[in-house]
Amino acid sequence: MQQYLYLIPALPLAGFLVLSLAGRYLSRNFIAGIGAGSICISALITILLSARFLQSPPETGAYTQVLWHWFSVEGLVSNISLRVDSLSLVFICIITFIGALIHIYSIAFMREDRDYARFFASMNLFVCAMLMLVMADNLVLLYLGWEGVGLCSYLLIGFWYETPGNYRAANKAFVITRIGDTAMIIGLFLLFKELGTLYIPDVLARATQHFSSGADGVTLIAILLLCGGMGKSAQLPLQTWLPDAMAGPSPVSALIHAATMVTAGVYLIARMHTIFELSPVAMQITAIVGAVTLFVAGCSAMVQTDIKRILAYSTISQIGYMFLALGVGAWSAGIFHFFTHAFFKALLFLAAGAVIETLHHEHNIFKMGGLRKTMPVIFWTFTIGAAALAALPLVTAGFFSKDQILWYAWSAGGGHPVLWALALAGAFITALYSTRLILVVFWGEMKTTPGHLPSRVMTVPLVILAFFSVAAGWIEWPHNILHVDLFSEEVQHVLPATVLKEGLPAEIVFQLIAVVVSLIGIYSGYSLYYGQSPLLQQWKQSPTVMSVRDFFFSGWRFDQLYDALIVRPFLFITRINKSDISDKLYTAIANVSMLLNRQFSVTQNGSLRWYVTGVLIGILFIITLQLLL
Amino acid sequence: MNELQLIPLLPFIILAMASVVTILLIAFRLSHTVIQVTGFLMMCLVVFATWYVRDTLPEEVPPLFIVDGQAALFTGVIIFCVLVIGLFSYIYFEEREENPKEYYILLFLATLGAAILTISQHFISLFIGLELLSVSLYALIAYLRNRNNAVEAGMKYLVLAALSSAFLLFGMALIYMEAGSMKFSGIAEKLPQVSSSPLFLMGLGTIVVAIGFKLALVPFHLWAADVYQGSPTPVTAFIATISKIGTFAVLLRFAQTIHLQQYPLIIAIFSVIAISSMIVGNILALRQQNLKRLLAYSSIAHFGYLLVAFLPGNEAGTEAAAFYLIAYSITLLSAFGVITLLSSREHEAETLDIYTGLIWRRPVVATILAISLFSLAGIPLTAGFLAKFFVLSAGVQQAVWLPLAVLILTSVIGLYYYLRVINTLFGTSGTADVMQKTVHPFFHVSTYITLVVLAGMLFWIGVFPGLVLQGIRLFLLLH
Repeated sequence: MQQYLYLIPALPLAGFLVLSLAGRYLSRNFIAGIGAGSICISALITILLSARFLQSPPETGAYTQVLWHWFSVEGLVSNISLRVDSLSLVFICIITFIGALIHIYSIAFMREDRDYARFFASMNLFVCAMLMLVMADNLVLLYLGWEGVGLCSYLLIGFWYETPGNYRAANKAFVITRIGDTAMIIGLFLLFKELGTLYIPDVLARATQHFSSGADGVTLIAILLLCGGMGKSAQLPLQTWLPDAMAGPSPVSALIHAATMVTAGVYLIARMHTIFELSPVAMQITAIVGAVTLFVAGCSAMVQTDIKRILAYSTISQIGYMFLALGVGAWSAGIFHFFTHAFFKALLFLAAGAVIETLHHEHNIFKMGGLRKTMPVIFWTFTIGAAALAALPLVTAGFFSKDQILWYAWSAGGGHPVLWALALAGAFITALYSTRLILVVFWGEMKTTPGHLPSRVMTVPLVILAFFSVAAGWIEWPHNILHVDLFSEEVQHVLPATVLKEGLPAEIVFQLIAVVVSLIGIYSGYSLYYGQSPLLQQWKQSPTVMSVRDFFFSGWRFDQLYDALIVRPFLFITRINKSDISDKLYTAIANVSMLLNRQFSVTQNGSLRWYVTGVLIGILFIITLQLLL
Repeated sequence: MNELQLIPLLPFIILAMASVVTILLIAFRLSHTVIQVTGFLMMCLVVFATWYVRDTLPEEVPPLFIVDGQAALFTGVIIFCVLVIGLFSYIYFEEREENPKEYYILLFLATLGAAILTISQHFISLFIGLELLSVSLYALIAYLRNRNNAVEAGMKYLVLAALSSAFLLFGMALIYMEAGSMKFSGIAEKLPQVSSSPLFLMGLGTIVVAIGFKLALVPFHLWAADVYQGSPTPVTAFIATISKIGTFAVLLRFAQTIHLQQYPLIIAIFSVIAISSMIVGNILALRQQNLKRLLAYSSIAHFGYLLVAFLPGNEAGTEAAAFYLIAYSITLLSAFGVITLLSSREHEAETLDIYTGLIWRRPVVATILAISLFSLAGIPLTAGFLAKFFVLSAGVQQAVWLPLAVLILTSVIGLYYYLRVINTLFGTSGTADVMQKTVHPFFHVSTYITLVVLAGMLFWIGVFPGLVLQGIRLFLLLH
């Protein structure tokens, strides 16, 4: 099985090559076949591989395959080589499986689009790059994948590039994630300088010997890597690009900006867990970033009116939970939340895409409504997704993963009551806006007449995702309820087990609090948005409430802040330095060269006498030099 | 001297016989094609003979010659060049009014001269080789005698070459007077006594004039542009490659034998020449509108670069120089090949107007020209880049900082005019060129294929230099 490892990223790459080179000559069915087919086969191989992996785990704990030697410079050996351990396996499964479903959904969703082949080519390239990111055995190759997904994200956000806002959103995403990428590459340089290798197993092994716990060097590296993760995973303060990234087609939002790429930061931190464990400060920062992000983004999600922006803020918030979990040292809980989140968030985006398509590209939820009867499949699947997001106790996957994080936010080694309180507040907000979303979109009166309903090709992936949004949680139960921990057992082959604090109240107390808070959140949403709530009307009159609402709506005015702090001063400097000072040097060289050219050209006058004089001047010069020296 | 010592000279004897065979063929009134093919086969025979004698190397043929790895290497490059130039000559002269047959006699004689330079270890053989080369070149340059440019170029070359030969002889005489030997190794033995003598140093200085003239180094470069422009294009290619390779080879051997680089004075002279060649060559080319003149100026600059590898006088420098010459020859051959292919009976394809928008009309030819210009400019992935890189690294080892700094700066300036030509290739509104199909298609196609192969080699050497480097080292070890 191991020798087929390369096929998993190679098939999407082949798909990309075929579609980008010959896409314009192919029929739509053929394009769909290649675009979706390559990912589906990858997914099949992944399923077979995981089955084999779980049945008989390899002795080293990982499947490895060296494909070829990339380069080797002064001790930095980089191979194109793959390594799949249980952590990578979780990511590969999600990427290929959800990727395959989203590709199938896209066959119908993008049917009418002019650039059908370009869409599938970019999506395939994305899947390939993402797989390289998680399968790389060295950080250089990982970085290649990291940049690759950034590129594809840029291409796909700006997919409908003729609308001016879209390419601006793409640029914004690219520039802001670049800040994180730059920090990350500096981190990698430092890592190589300190440890002399970028081969991941060696890095992890040498780090413990090379660094003492809490050393400045390792803290700096961990923080730089964290910055990289913050950029890609849209965490505070680099979160502003993700809501705008919704300009891309809905399948793109589902795959890249919800399920996979934005969790690359989570993967990076989990992959480099030894580095982070050596630096308690970096762990604390990770936890704080996660906790603050989940709260800030949750507040913004509460007041948005664009269905995709609600989901985008919710994604930021949920990744905040993952960062929080990683930061407090609950490694497997963080990865588990990634696992469940991927299903229900992909589901929500795809369902939202179907709703938007049916309602003639209407994004505003207050212009929807009453779709419960007309679109039953979408309604039910969306509700299941939203319930999972709201962490509806015991029946949804979201509950199982989020409950763990809430418990560990206090009880794990790096936990703290404040983190727990923020996470709990986030849970309340999440439940509230999930309920709001369902009630506003599917209940009430119909405000826009639906067009033709989504076809079977689109609904079947939704149903499958809905099934997993419920069932994915069952592989890992809270310890005190049922002793099933398939997921953490597997992941803990790679990641360290969570250390618990002593002397805390029983876990069941925390769980009950979490359950109650979620239910209160759902109830508040119900009472506010079911029918005409007098409280809501009252709030709409109050200027204080409305200004808070506007503040949240604008994403806590981060865009304005950055505009004032960075963009404007920068533009000001560029305006002053319009005729670039450093250009003067180059124009001077050019001018001097041209001047000399005119002078020297005079010597090329074609006259033989003059040429002979030239030779004589030369010999005179040589003799003079001899006499002088 | 016994017959065993003649064996290493076999390739050179065959090369000399090529001219005689050509004369005989002309006497029997055989056609251009037959002469061309026979010449080609003779050159192949030379290559084969070089292969055959490889085990006897290195072998001294006292007192005039030494056939060692370095000589074999440079002779190999020369023969390679003449094979390609011969091919270009066919399509070039077939289209023109002049009877092309005698051309091949001169071509092979000039080649013989250059080849003799590579094996010379004595002033006499040096002078004979150089004169054989020069005298053949006078006629070759003016071969199209009905064209004013050609005759003018021939005259200029004749006068200036004679002048430089005079200096060469004078220098040899001075050195002989001081050292009492004309053999390089003999001079080397006398070095301790004579090295401080002003007459000896002056002799070295005047020899530099002749070498500088042949290599078109500043300030002996003034002829280059006129001669490059006036000569038939294959002859220009010959002057740019074979003539210079031969001269550089003998300079290298002379310098190695008497350790020329130990004199600060000589280093100073060569540094100044190298620096001024790099600057003047590149600057003169900046606004040049004639491609042949542009390549002339470019080659002035390139031999300035090459001298930077010569300055250190060590193994790495020799290796870098050999690699540079190989890369440079392939590059120039492909560039001049394109010019040959595009020239018609009435017009040499030398003004840049002809090349405007060439890429849309003749994509393959234009791409080859672009690749060779990229290689001349030293853009990565081409042989020219690595050649320049090796020169730089050889210079860095000996810390000749000033020439290195000039090399880097002038390379940047050089980029401007190479890119200007490439820019022209992609321009719009070109004149549609009328191709006369007077030539046998076989030669046309084979010229085409040769050009593609040359361009491919530029890439291949630029990406995988290992094999070429290994070959160079292997040859240089035989001494």
